[in-house]
Amino acid sequence: MTRKIILIGSPNCGKSLLFNRLTGLSQKVANFPGITVEVTSGHFADLENTTLVDYPGTYSLQPISGEEQVAVEQFQQGLEDPEVSHVLCLIDVTRLEKSLYFTLQVIRECERRGKPVLVLANMMDILAGHGLEVDLEGLSRELSAPVLPISARTGKGVPELLCRLRGEDAAADPWPHDEGIAHTPDVLLRGNAHQLARKYGPRGDLLVRTQTRLDGFFLHSAFGGLAFFVIMYLLFQSIFTWAAPAMDAVEAGLGWLAELVVPLVPGQLGKDFTADALFSGMGAFLVFVPQIFVLTFVIGMLEDSGYMARAALICHKPLRFFGLTGKSFIPMLSGVACAIPGIYAARSIDSPRKRLLTYLAIPLMPCSARLPVYTLLIAAFIPNTTAFGGLVGVQGAAMFGIYFFGMFCALLVTALVSRSRADHFTDLPFVLEMPPYRVPAWAPLVRKAWQRCKHFITKAGGIILAVTVVVWFLGYFPNGGADLSASWLGQLGRFVGPLFEPLGLDWRYGVAILTSFLAREVFVGTLGAMFGIESAEENMVPLVSHIQASELGLASGLALLVFFAIALMCVSTMAILSREAGSRRLPLQMFAAYGVAGYLGALAIYQLVSFLGG
Amino acid sequence: MKATMTAPVNAGAPRSLWSLRKGEGGVIAGFDDILADHYRVRLMEMGFHPGETVSCLQAPAFGSPKVFRVSNTIFSLDDEVASHIKLESHDT
Repeated sequence: MTRKIILIGSPNCGKSLLFNRLTGLSQKVANFPGITVEVTSGHFADLENTTLVDYPGTYSLQPISGEEQVAVEQFQQGLEDPEVSHVLCLIDVTRLEKSLYFTLQVIRECERRGKPVLVLANMMDILAGHGLEVDLEGLSRELSAPVLPISARTGKGVPELLCRLRGEDAAADPWPHDEGIAHTPDVLLRGNAHQLARKYGPRGDLLVRTQTRLDGFFLHSAFGGLAFFVIMYLLFQSIFTWAAPAMDAVEAGLGWLAELVVPLVPGQLGKDFTADALFSGMGAFLVFVPQIFVLTFVIGMLEDSGYMARAALICHKPLRFFGLTGKSFIPMLSGVACAIPGIYAARSIDSPRKRLLTYLAIPLMPCSARLPVYTLLIAAFIPNTTAFGGLVGVQGAAMFGIYFFGMFCALLVTALVSRSRADHFTDLPFVLEMPPYRVPAWAPLVRKAWQRCKHFITKAGGIILAVTVVVWFLGYFPNGGADLSASWLGQLGRFVGPLFEPLGLDWRYGVAILTSFLAREVFVGTLGAMFGIESAEENMVPLVSHIQASELGLASGLALLVFFAIALMCVSTMAILSREAGSRRLPLQMFAAYGVAGYLGALAIYQLVSFLGG
Repeated sequence: MKATMTAPVNAGAPRSLWSLRKGEGGVIAGFDDILADHYRVRLMEMGFHPGETVSCLQAPAFGSPKVFRVSNTIFSLDDEVASHIKLESHDT
C-alpha cells in the first residue's frame, strides 16, 4: 500500500533543503502553466512506499494573489486525498511569529479533515549555536500537535522523524486533539500566534545583529553598490562567457553525431533532412541548455545565500519608475546574453504583473544572437573611422548606440504598458522578507538547474524542432536544395519583398529576415547564401564587401539595425514565453506588436536618413 | 543594537513607518485606509500588528526601500507601503 506525506511551511523556512534531504535524488516537479507555483514530489529515501509532496510556501492560507490562490487550492486538494497519512509543517524557530500563524492555520485545516500534523522545528542548530533555546514541549502543548526539533541542514532530528512516521516511536504520545481549533477564525489565530511567539520565541537579537552587520555592507551606499556591480558582472560573465565552452561542446557533439548518423541514412533527401533539419533543429534548442543550467544555478545560489533579496532592494527604486520591480533586474540582465534564460529567471518575480512586464522587456534587451547581425550591418554601413581626435571609434559608438537603443526600448515599453494598463493587473506591494545570509546547499541547486533544463528540452524543444523542419522544407523544395533563391522560401521572399522595398531592401533581404525567425544570427548565413557566399556566418568579410559594393545605402542599413533591435524574431523565445506565461496569445501578440513597431521604426529612420541625404 | 534616537520634529503628530531613519524605532498605531484590506491582513500576518515595536535597520540612499525589523524577522518595505503604516506619536 502506498501513502503520501505532505510537507508545507512558510517561505524561507528551509523546506526545499529538508525535502531534498528526505527524498534524495527521486523528484518530480509539477508546474502550473503561467505561474511559478511548483508542487514537487519524491519518494522517501528511507521509508518504503511513501511519497513526500512539497507544497509551495505561503505566508498564509488566505491568498492575496492568483498564484497564492493556486498554491492554497493545491494544498486543500492534497488534504482531501485519502492516501495522505500525515502533514509535516516546517517552522523556522529563529523567526517564530512569522511561522506560527501559518502553522496554526495548517493545524486548523488538518483538524477539519482528520489529518495528523507533525510540526518540525527547523534551524535548531543555528539557535543552539547562538546559545539560545525554545521550549518545544510548551509549544507542543499550546499547538495541540507534536513538535520535533530538526535541522534540515545537518540532518539532526531526521532519524527521530522517520521513527515517528514509521510508527516505531513507542514513547511518542498519540496525536493530541484535546483543545481543537477547527472553528477558530483567522483573526484569533493571528493573535494566538503573536502571543505564542512572545512566550516561546528565542530571546535576544543575536541572530538579527549578525544579519544587520552584513546588510550594513551589502546595502551601504558605496560598498553595497560596488558589491552589486561585481556580483552582477560575475553573473553576466557566467552566462555569456563561462557557458560558452559547454555551448561549443554541445554544437561539436551534435556535429560529431551527425557525421556518424548521416552516412547511415539512405538517399540524398534523407541525408539532407537528417543533417540540415533534424540535427540543426536539435542544435537550435540544445545549444541553450548550458546557459539555462548555469543561470539557474547562479540565481539559485544568489537566492539561497540571501543576496537576491538585497539585489532586488538595490534595483527597486530606479526600476519602479518603469513599472518594474528590483527583481526584474537579473532577468533583464540575463536577457542581454539570451532571452531564454532571462525568461526562466523571471520566475523569481512573485508579482504576476511585474513578471508580465518583465516578459515584455526581455526580448528587447540586446541579446547575443543580435551581435553577428549588428556586426555585419555596422561593418557594412558605418565607416571605420574615429571621432573626437581619435578617442572614439565610430563603429564602436554605433554598436554601443544600438545596444543602448534596445535597453531604452525595453524600459519605454514597460513604462507605457504599466501606466496604460494599471487597472487590468493584480499586483503585490513591495514587502520583501530579508532572509538570513546562508551558505547555499549545492546538491539541491544542481538538481534544480537540471530540472529547469529538462523542462526546456521537453516543453520548448518540440516547437523549435518543428519550426526548423518547416523552414528547411520550404528552403529545400522544389529543387532539392540546389538553389535557395529558387526554392519555395525564395518565392515566399519575393512575395513579401514589396514589404521591404520602402526600406530600400530587395527580396533577398526578405528571405534572410524570414529565416532569422529560427535565430537572429541565421540572417547572416542566409544573406550569404543568397549572394552565393559560402560560410558567411564564419567569415563576414566577403559578404560585407558584397553589400558595400551594392547600391544599398546607409539609410537601409540603419533601418535594418532598428528592425532587428525591436522585432521579436526568435522561435525559441516565443516557445518558452508561451510555456512560462501560460499563454499562446502573449508571444503572438508580442511578435505582432514588436514586428509592427520594428518595421515602423525602421521606416522612420530610413525616411529620416534619406531626407538628410544618407 | 545601538539606537540613535532623535526627537521627533512634530511631537504628537502621526508619523509613518517610512519616516523612520536608520537606528530609529516606533510602535505601530495602525494603517491608512488607503491600504487595501488584504494588504493590511498580509502585513499583520508578517508581524506588523498595531502595538508592535518596529525599528529601521537600514535606510539605503536614493529612496530605496528601507529595512525594518519586526519581532525577529527583517523585511524591506518601499514608501508605497511603509508610508501607509502609522506609528504612535511617542518614540520608543
